[in-house]
Amino acid sequence: MANPPKEQRPDGSENKVTNDLASRIAAAKRDRAVEEAETSRRASGDTSQMGRAVRLGSEFIAAILVATGIGYLLDLWLNTRPWIMLVMLLVGFAAGILNVTRSVAEMNKAAPPPKDADLGSADDDEDDDR
Amino acid sequence: MADPTKVDPIHQFGITNIFSLGEGGVAFTNSALFMVLTVGLILGYLLLSTAGRKLVPTRAQALSEMLYEFVANMVRGSAGTEGMKFFPFVFALFMFVLVANMFGMFPFFFTVTSHIIVTVALALLVMVVVVGYGVYKNGFKFLKLFVPHGVPGYVLPIVVPIEVVSFLSRPISLSVRLFANILAGHITLKVFAGFIVTLGSLGALGFLGALLPLIMTVAITALEFLVAALQAYVFAVLTSMYLNDAIHPSH
Repeated sequence: MANPPKEQRPDGSENKVTNDLASRIAAAKRDRAVEEAETSRRASGDTSQMGRAVRLGSEFIAAILVATGIGYLLDLWLNTRPWIMLVMLLVGFAAGILNVTRSVAEMNKAAPPPKDADLGSADDDEDDDR
Repeated sequence: MADPTKVDPIHQFGITNIFSLGEGGVAFTNSALFMVLTVGLILGYLLLSTAGRKLVPTRAQALSEMLYEFVANMVRGSAGTEGMKFFPFVFALFMFVLVANMFGMFPFFFTVTSHIIVTVALALLVMVVVVGYGVYKNGFKFLKLFVPHGVPGYVLPIVVPIEVVSFLSRPISLSVRLFANILAGHITLKVFAGFIVTLGSLGALGFLGALLPLIMTVAITALEFLVAALQAYVFAVLTSMYLNDAIHPSH
């Protein structure tokens, strides 16, 4: 935002008003930005619980279906039923898990937990449990 | 439904011809009619509400601006400022799915998105844009999408097929999710509403019993409105995420 002319005018009283107004506008804008960020965060956290559940489920299943389908078609083509399909089923399972972990990571990045939330152990001793 | 006591929850998804161009030619079905209505409503509303272009918006204009900002923030958030060149695409998809879902909430209206062929067409459109733009912008580097960063060479034969399958599953999950949500919701609604009719025909005790599915139907209707809006949102968010992959292919 452009600064209002401060020292250029000889007339002091009008400058004061402009400065005051500018700072008040800036403060109001800051408040609004903070408020908007807060509401959008809350809204995305509350309303999309069901959306998240459905999204994770469908992503997991879609990967398995696609991989198994590809395997089945390859089997038909190469006359190796059912071996490629079985291998691709496992690949699809892995891809499904990958899809789920990836979207959960995105969700976590989009809505990080509040600073004071109790998430169990601290970061540095997290590796002990694995 | 000829017999009012017989409830057929699938009947609402039937496609009927309204008119067709010539024998066996292109048919204008009820599905097509509602697609036209959907596009017409979006177009009409957005054009009329923004025609005034007031600095202090009227209510209708404010809603249009909210829709714009909502989708613009979503695209910027998931695909970055570079993704804003796809804003018209994402906005069109979001509005189409949202309005089509909401049209489906009217009694006796046809729900366009309850047919998998429609949602698959939308999802494939997204994938064509993602792959097309990714290859156009990045060339062969687009294939880096399938090779995650910092993976040692000897596990690549396992990781690359998994990544490819993960990529190929996107249009499926995108379309099946939207279609399944809408289809399942409408069937559930119809089945519960059917219980009211069936129980209500059993006399006084049945009338009391019919209260339970009636309450359920009201509750499910509210849930369906949520699902309709949510699925449009999810569809648009995922579209912009996939576009992000096309713009920045390395993970």
